Amino acid sequence: MRPILLQGHERSLTQIKFNTDGDLLFSCSKDSVINVWYSHNGERLGTYGGHNGTVWTVDSDPSTDLMISGSADNMMKLWQVSTGKCLYTWEFPTAVKRVAFNEDGTQVVCITEQRMGYQCAIRVFTINRTEPTKQSKEPLHMFNPIGSKATVCAFTPTPNVIITGHESGKVALFNVKSGEEIENNERAHGDVITDLQLSKDWTYCITSSKDKSARIHDTKNLMVIKTYTTETPLNSAAIAPGRPYILLGGGQEAMSVTTTSLRQGKFETRFWHKVFEEEVGRVKGHFGPINTIAVHPQGTAYASGGEDGFVRVHHFDESYFKAKPYGDIEIMD
Amino acid sequence: EDAAEESNVSAELIALRKRLVDEWNAWRIMRQKETGEKGELKQESEDKEEIE
Repeated sequence: MRPILLQGHERSLTQIKFNTDGDLLFSCSKDSVINVWYSHNGERLGTYGGHNGTVWTVDSDPSTDLMISGSADNMMKLWQVSTGKCLYTWEFPTAVKRVAFNEDGTQVVCITEQRMGYQCAIRVFTINRTEPTKQSKEPLHMFNPIGSKATVCAFTPTPNVIITGHESGKVALFNVKSGEEIENNERAHGDVITDLQLSKDWTYCITSSKDKSARIHDTKNLMVIKTYTTETPLNSAAIAPGRPYILLGGGQEAMSVTTTSLRQGKFETRFWHKVFEEEVGRVKGHFGPINTIAVHPQGTAYASGGEDGFVRVHHFDESYFKAKPYGDIEIMD
Repeated sequence: EDAAEESNVSAELIALRKRLVDEWNAWRIMRQKETGEKGELKQESEDKEEIE
């Protein structure tokens, strides 16, 4: 499984994301730039320039026509994927930490940071797909989540319900129309939730946390289905479709990284068995903590983005698909 | 004796793993059925609208 090294960022990666077909990979970084790459060979297809600060988050719509990004420059931008043109810019009082499309690409949910007297806010925007340069400046819904600020979010299969992960380790379901917290699990994690990724059918999700664990939650009722306990703070967790694995990435804080580990590229993506909650393997390579992991929607490859500024794309070998580390029992996705 | 013990342990492990997979698959089937039903309901209400 030889990795393809994507060198197109000058600073650390913040989020990477495959499009629906998996032929493209979007990456955003502290260098203010978003790149898009061909996932099969690592060739850079283009760059989306226009943000003036760390780009924290990116997502593409189901048809890969549109891409949305959120940045520390307090802006959220809508882009035309094929041309690199910025179609619309929303501006907020604080940084945009997370964005996500809904199932049909008609809505976007975003989290803005709590800072300078402004509360953390969650907004839902309707996306005008017929005239994408003409968007509504005002959100369709907006609310301030009570208690701990939200760090990550996504739409769920239930209309108007989103799932959020919080600084305190809480996971919650919100009705976006009323801003009401429908359900919560205050003790989902013991520290900041750093990532939240949905399963293929959106009926469950995985969260990662600085508390060194990752968990699978039912997106309908927040029931904790599985827990993966590691020995390092986690920055990202992803679900591998078609195989019973989840992928975890993290590492020590940049401050405490020793020169030895920096030199050796020791930072690893950890593969865990999804159902048995046991570690099954590690893939080394990054020269700093792994900030973000994404798995190809068909489960044929995965990519990791590091504090070291590199994206590494790995196409799985034949052996990965044949391996049955725990026997012949069929495990559903 | 040792060998017998070992095989006992692995038998337990196998049983545990089988139980975990059964639980996981049962939960997946339940959720998939629900989402399938929701899809059908949606279809029905769409059909109704057309009639009206």
